[in-house]
Amino acid sequence: MLDNSRPSEGIRFEELILDDRVHSTLYTDSEVFEAEMDSIFRNGWVFICHDSEIPKAGDFVRRNVGRDPVFAVRGRDGEISVIVNRCAHRGNIICQEERGNAKAFVCQYHGWAYDTKGGLVDVPYPAGFKGDFSCHGLERLAKVDSYQGFVFASFNPTVPSLGDHLGRATELIDRAVEMSPVGRINLSGGWVRHQLNCNWKMLPENDTDGYHVNFVHPSFAQAIRSNYDEAVLQDEESLKSEAKDWGNGHTELNFSPSYSRPLEWFGCAEDRYPSYSKALREAYGQEKGDKILLDGPPHAVIFPNLFLGEMNIVRFEPVAPGVCLHIHTPMYLEGVDDDVNQRILRQSEGALGPTAFLLADDSVIAERTQLALAGKGGWLDLSRGAEREVTDDNGVVVGHLTDETSNRGFWRHYKQVMQGPDQSSPTAAAAAA
Amino acid sequence: MVTIEERLRVEEFLFKEARLADESRYSEWEALAEDDMHYWVPAEAGQDPDDGRISILNDNRTRLATRIRQLNTGVRHAQVPPSRMCRIISNVEIETIADGEYFVRSNVILYEYRIQADKEMEVWPARVEHKLRMRDGEMKMFSKHILLLNSEGPVRGLSFII
Repeated sequence: MLDNSRPSEGIRFEELILDDRVHSTLYTDSEVFEAEMDSIFRNGWVFICHDSEIPKAGDFVRRNVGRDPVFAVRGRDGEISVIVNRCAHRGNIICQEERGNAKAFVCQYHGWAYDTKGGLVDVPYPAGFKGDFSCHGLERLAKVDSYQGFVFASFNPTVPSLGDHLGRATELIDRAVEMSPVGRINLSGGWVRHQLNCNWKMLPENDTDGYHVNFVHPSFAQAIRSNYDEAVLQDEESLKSEAKDWGNGHTELNFSPSYSRPLEWFGCAEDRYPSYSKALREAYGQEKGDKILLDGPPHAVIFPNLFLGEMNIVRFEPVAPGVCLHIHTPMYLEGVDDDVNQRILRQSEGALGPTAFLLADDSVIAERTQLALAGKGGWLDLSRGAEREVTDDNGVVVGHLTDETSNRGFWRHYKQVMQGPDQSSPTAAAAAA
Repeated sequence: MVTIEERLRVEEFLFKEARLADESRYSEWEALAEDDMHYWVPAEAGQDPDDGRISILNDNRTRLATRIRQLNTGVRHAQVPPSRMCRIISNVEIETIADGEYFVRSNVILYEYRIQADKEMEVWPARVEHKLRMRDGEMKMFSKHILLLNSEGPVRGLSFII
């Protein structure tokens, strides 16, 4: 790509995204997809991993940022680097294992060796090497930062701070980790990689769409009694849950107002896990402990690729305009008995992934939607409930569970990111240099 | 070493189990499962079902009953209409675990026509391990482990009986 213009320059996002509708080409067009890889996945913050996945020096995990292969590795100083998984010499994959521990990364093509910061430390047959070791390190993502152990990174050295990006949504992450009496989660359960032949944006949209549940999941509702009976499967007047737009593309379905008993969100009574309830109340005090036990975990998307899916953590990964991955792991809690985490694991397997009682149906609906958008396409409506949503004291827009408040919030931010505040893209500039 | 007759009974069971799954005859398939059934698709090669790592599918008998109940509602979109399937079973090896109980390894290639969505053909090669039990003159299964070659993924929707 030698063209130094932004890939999105020719796309008129202001004509494709209106307040109450979006055009289907946003899900199908390859130029739109390329522009997203640049503006969202390279220039913005992207969720990479949780620090509990790589607790010790030398621990690493492989990930993709958009389509760019990277690995996150903890250095001897304890700091986490996110490094492009491409040898600085001839471009071979440097980190071949999905996860593990390494003192150094040695390329299997010509043997160039790198340390855990990506610095070049050795080349075979050094007499012929006239380069400078300091100039031949692996490419590192310019920014790495974390919040409550959630590690985010960006290729963009001038990206605004992670705090700016998360904004008020830090509260959602706080709520997730506060499900643990010691405020720590642990993502050591491994990930299931579920492929959907649909555009990646259908994942954040559907995961915070409270309107589809009766129609996509009737077989679940008929076969299984669950907390969702109260939270999402009531008639319009009885539903107390809310759809929320937290700003910056972060969105939520808030089920908490529907719950009237502690641990209802966990599908059981409080006496099922007495030591868990006790530990939460001791850790956070009676009042806050009661609230955590009643409200349960968040069901929220952190733009663009992290889903705090109640007791699951999910990564969204774009592959092509019509292909994406929904990748999930159980959100294990530190400081609880094993039987609590065992229940979290079994619920994770039941709700998410290729065989799940819920997501298997979402995925087939998403794939049919993608089929319906083929060709010239048309407009998709987003107007539901715009006249009845309200902005609360914290600036969060709150709508009826079934309203498109959350998806309007996603698209409002998307439009702003894709249009861009300026025309200088560091990625494009680097490619042209 | 099992007898020729035992081998025939085991193979007959595998073929019948495969046909009922291929034809999405959910309740008839479920009737082959014992009360201590473990139906499992691990997410990683070499995975231990009790090591705290997530599985693609990990059903005890109760959850399997729920799965069948959901498929039988007729509104499980992911299987409306059911995938059209054909599985080829080969390399059957049989060991005796106890009197009337067998551990059976086989290789399976499952072709799935995804008629309810994008009408693509999906191929699911797997190593399969059954544990079977002869009870009251009938062969039943109390374990079926499906080790997908691509278990680490990406894996497409898998809402049929595998």
